[in-house]
Amino acid sequence: MINDLLVSVMLVAGTFFMFLAGIGVLRMPDLLMRMHATTKAGTLGAGLVMLAVATHFLDAGVTARTLAIILFILLTAPVAAHAIGRAAYFVGVPLWDKMLKDDLKNRYDPDTHILGNPDDDKQP
Amino acid sequence: MSPLSWNLILALIWAAVTGNFSGANLLVGFGLGYLILGFALRDVPDFARYRKKVPRLFLLLGHFLRDLVASNLRVAYDVLTPTHYMRPAVVAVPLRAKTDGAITILANMISLTPGTLSLDVSSDRSVLYLHVMYLDDEADLRRQIHALEDRVLAVLE
Amino acid sequence: MLEGAIFLSYLLLSLALLCALVRLVRGPTLPDRVVALELMASLTVAFIGIYALNNDRPAFLDVAMVLALTAFLTAVGFARYLEKGGHRGDQ
Repeated sequence: MINDLLVSVMLVAGTFFMFLAGIGVLRMPDLLMRMHATTKAGTLGAGLVMLAVATHFLDAGVTARTLAIILFILLTAPVAAHAIGRAAYFVGVPLWDKMLKDDLKNRYDPDTHILGNPDDDKQP
Repeated sequence: MSPLSWNLILALIWAAVTGNFSGANLLVGFGLGYLILGFALRDVPDFARYRKKVPRLFLLLGHFLRDLVASNLRVAYDVLTPTHYMRPAVVAVPLRAKTDGAITILANMISLTPGTLSLDVSSDRSVLYLHVMYLDDEADLRRQIHALEDRVLAVLE
Repeated sequence: MLEGAIFLSYLLLSLALLCALVRLVRGPTLPDRVVALELMASLTVAFIGIYALNNDRPAFLDVAMVLALTAFLTAVGFARYLEKGGHRGDQ
C-alpha cells in the first residue's frame, strides 16, 4: 500500500518533469535553452521513473538494472548536450537575439577545431 | 595498493563471512571496513586522506541531488513563464581542474545544476564555457562555479 | 490508485512525445532536430519502464538500457557528423 503510493508519486512526478521537458523543447527560443530543458528535466524524469520501477519490483536484479540506467543517463545526458552544443557552433546555428553576451562566438578555429580562450584577445 | 581497494576487499570479506552477497550487505561491509581502516590506520598518511575523502564524497552527492531537484524546479518555472524574463548568455569561467576525470565530473555537475549548461572546455584547459539562463551577476556565477569546483577537487585530488 | 498514476504517466509522456515531435518537424536547424530526437529517446526509455511496471515484465528493462545506450551514441554521432562537415544548411 505504502509501496504503491511511493511508486505512484514517483511516476507522476517523473513523467511531469519529462512533460515539462517536452513543453520546454517546444517553447524555448533557441537551441541552447532547449538543451537546458532536455538535459535537466529529461534526466531527473527518467531517473524518477526508473526509481519507481525499482521500488515496485523490489528485486535485486531489477534494482541493479535500473541503477545502471540511471547512472548511464546521468553520465551521458550532459556529454550529449556538450557534443550537440559544440556542433551547433560549428554549423552556425542562429542564437536568440536577446542573449546578453556570447563569449564562445568566433572562438573555435574552423580549420583546426581548436577552441581558444578569452586571453587570446589581449595578445597582439 | 590504494586505500579504496583495501576497503573493497574488506567489504568482500565481510560478504563472504556472512554468506550474503546482496547489495545492502556489501554496503554494510564497506561501511564497517571504512570505520576499521579509518581507525586502525589513522597514522598512515594515505589512509588518513582517504578517511576524509569518503564523507566529502557523500557531501558532494548530497549537494548534487539537491541541485538536481532545484534545477528541475527552476526549469519548470522557466518553461511555464513567458520567455522575455530570461537573460541568457554564454560566459567563460576560469578552470582549475586539470585532469580529464575532474573536468568531466565538474562539467556534468554544472550541466545538471540550476540555470547552467556546460558547453565546452578550451583546448588549453584554462577556461570552461557555460550557457546560463539568467545572467544577473557574473562575479556571483564565477563564485558558485568556484565553490562547486572546490567540492569536486576535495574528493578527487 | 496505481492504475490511475500509470494512466496519468502514459498521458503526460504521450503529450511530451507530441511536443518533441512538433519540434522535430519544425526544426528549424538540424541540431534542434537532434535535441528533439534525443528527448524522444529518453521519453521512450521512461515509457518502456512504465510498461514493464504495468505488465510485471522486468525483462523489458534490458530494452530500455540498450535504447539509452544507442540514443547517446546517435546524438554523439550526429554531433560529430555536423562538426566534421556534411551538409551545413537544413534545406
